[in-house]
Amino acid sequence: MNFTWSDAAYFGPEAVMGLTFLLCVLGDLVTRGRRHVVPFGTLLVGTAISLVLALLHPPVSSHAILGQMVVVDGFAHFFRLLFLGITFVTALLSWSSREIMGRDREHQGEFYALAAMLCFGMMVMAESADIVMLALSLEAVSITSYILAGFARFSFRSSEAALKYVLWGAVSSAVMLYGLSLFYGLTGATSYEGIRAGLSGGQGGMALLVAILFVMAGIGYKISAVPFHFWTPDVYEGAPAPVAAIFASGPKIAGFALMIRFFYVALVQDDSQGTLALLDDVQWPWVLAIISAATMTLGNMAAIRQNSVRRLLAYSSIAHVGYMLMGFVVLSANGLAAVLFYLFVYAIMTIGAFLVVVALNNRVSGEEIDDYAGLGFREPLVAAMMFLFLISLTGLPPTAGFIGKFYLFAAAGEAGLWWLAILGVLNSVVSLYYYMRIARAMYFTPPELSGRVGLAQAHLILLVVLAVPTLVLGVFWSPLKEFADQSLRMLLGGG
Amino acid sequence: MLIQFATVFVFLCLGLGFVVVSQVISHLIRPHNLHPAKQTVYECGEDAEGSPWIQFNVRFYLIALFFIVFDVEIIFMLPWAVAFNDMLKTLGAFAFWEMAFFITILALGLAYVWSKGDLEWVKGLQSRDLREVRPLSVLTSKDAAPHGRVKVSEHGG
Repeated sequence: MNFTWSDAAYFGPEAVMGLTFLLCVLGDLVTRGRRHVVPFGTLLVGTAISLVLALLHPPVSSHAILGQMVVVDGFAHFFRLLFLGITFVTALLSWSSREIMGRDREHQGEFYALAAMLCFGMMVMAESADIVMLALSLEAVSITSYILAGFARFSFRSSEAALKYVLWGAVSSAVMLYGLSLFYGLTGATSYEGIRAGLSGGQGGMALLVAILFVMAGIGYKISAVPFHFWTPDVYEGAPAPVAAIFASGPKIAGFALMIRFFYVALVQDDSQGTLALLDDVQWPWVLAIISAATMTLGNMAAIRQNSVRRLLAYSSIAHVGYMLMGFVVLSANGLAAVLFYLFVYAIMTIGAFLVVVALNNRVSGEEIDDYAGLGFREPLVAAMMFLFLISLTGLPPTAGFIGKFYLFAAAGEAGLWWLAILGVLNSVVSLYYYMRIARAMYFTPPELSGRVGLAQAHLILLVVLAVPTLVLGVFWSPLKEFADQSLRMLLGGG
Repeated sequence: MLIQFATVFVFLCLGLGFVVVSQVISHLIRPHNLHPAKQTVYECGEDAEGSPWIQFNVRFYLIALFFIVFDVEIIFMLPWAVAFNDMLKTLGAFAFWEMAFFITILALGLAYVWSKGDLEWVKGLQSRDLREVRPLSVLTSKDAAPHGRVKVSEHGG
């Protein structure tokens, strides 16, 4: 467990984010909570420095640090960049959001401190190679998320969202910890590698089955997969819209990163056929395939009936988890690369769609689909961007969402799961209906009021910034695909 | 395997025996002087029976949280202090600066609590957010004082 200073070089981006959190709190205290630009600026500068550090030193080989508890490799690098980008963008969109910066002036600075902590936790989640670090990083992200969900302290809906989130989170954390303790009991090891070695004898039986199911339940809650999704719509609806944008992207993606690393390193054995099978006699691919199918179908079916745009987006995010699980089912290099590709694209388009909600929320009180009536006439730019994000979420060309889905469906088909791929396509058709309900309201319903809505300049700029990659990655996607492949190479090669 | 649990069994017997013996002895030697308040179950000064929808002073939870700041500090510092000389040989000055950094983080937590005025037992209600508190629907009107101030109730912890 010796610490060496060379470890610090590998842990640079995370260390900077940890320090950013402390400085944000300190800055908020020194200014007595009156100058929110101090923690906000600290967060932006810290994220930028961390991003530069990460980009300057991309890992060339898999490197275990901090007593083998954290592994820095290409996989970690991919998610580092993604989380730092998400934090940067969501910090910017929160700064102009009335829900975060409007009332309760005393605590706004803390929002940015929490965002820094969340980013730190998510980065460690993607890197942890030990179940102790897994639990710690997961709690760091969860506890920060609970506070963020209840950030609008005097809003009933926000408090309710926070309470629901805490209750769900506490239960699933407990279940997951129990599962992890079973792994430790079975193998006597806390590191993923140790667990893999301990399980390779083939014994385990019922205890192993329970352990895997419990850990899956904990992760399923984090990524809101069926049947652990119930909290999602309520939390996304109740929490302030910028927080919902963070939840729909950050912690969910971190959950995927954690799941891939844990399952791949700790539980998978190479059966020399190119594809990989999980340990134990249970047909895990089937279990995962059924979860995937249930998640996307339920997400889409529930989304059809929603009138609130936020709830609709929440259910759509559940459906997208189902699509992404499709790539995880087969656990092949292609499947995982498709998941990574889709996670990246998903982050951009989901934050984009939520950004429209955030921007409109500053001026318009309602969040029903009907409240978007005539947006195409009043705010042509915003409506066009929203339309772009919606068709990308549906998965229509020429957007990034289409390419992402194509890779996912192809990976499923390649593994012989044609029924799952076809179900995915059918689900996409269903999703077209409810996404287009928003589009119809924007373009085919006459507006009740005329004139511009008058949205924050920063939100308009951010919308364009997010729309560009959504469109560009739809026609020129090979760099991102190569990056995803390359990021996985160390994880897959190193075992 | 089973014989190893004999220790547990002996422990269980001793535990039960202790309860029985101490109850019997205290029953024999204590004065029998009954009083209604003595008959109630001890529950930290709370009424053991009744509606759970009482307003609890949130300050107790805050105090419990501050306590953790110092509690965690001592949990980590004690083993560190005991093993400090050994660590100095293997880790060098890092052994010292590690703990210095850790204490700095906890000190920041203390500074936060202090600066937000939570170390005062009677926190000033002049701060903006408390004035904005409206009576919640779960509270009856007698629980909430006029002007939306939260009544400081006197439940013991």
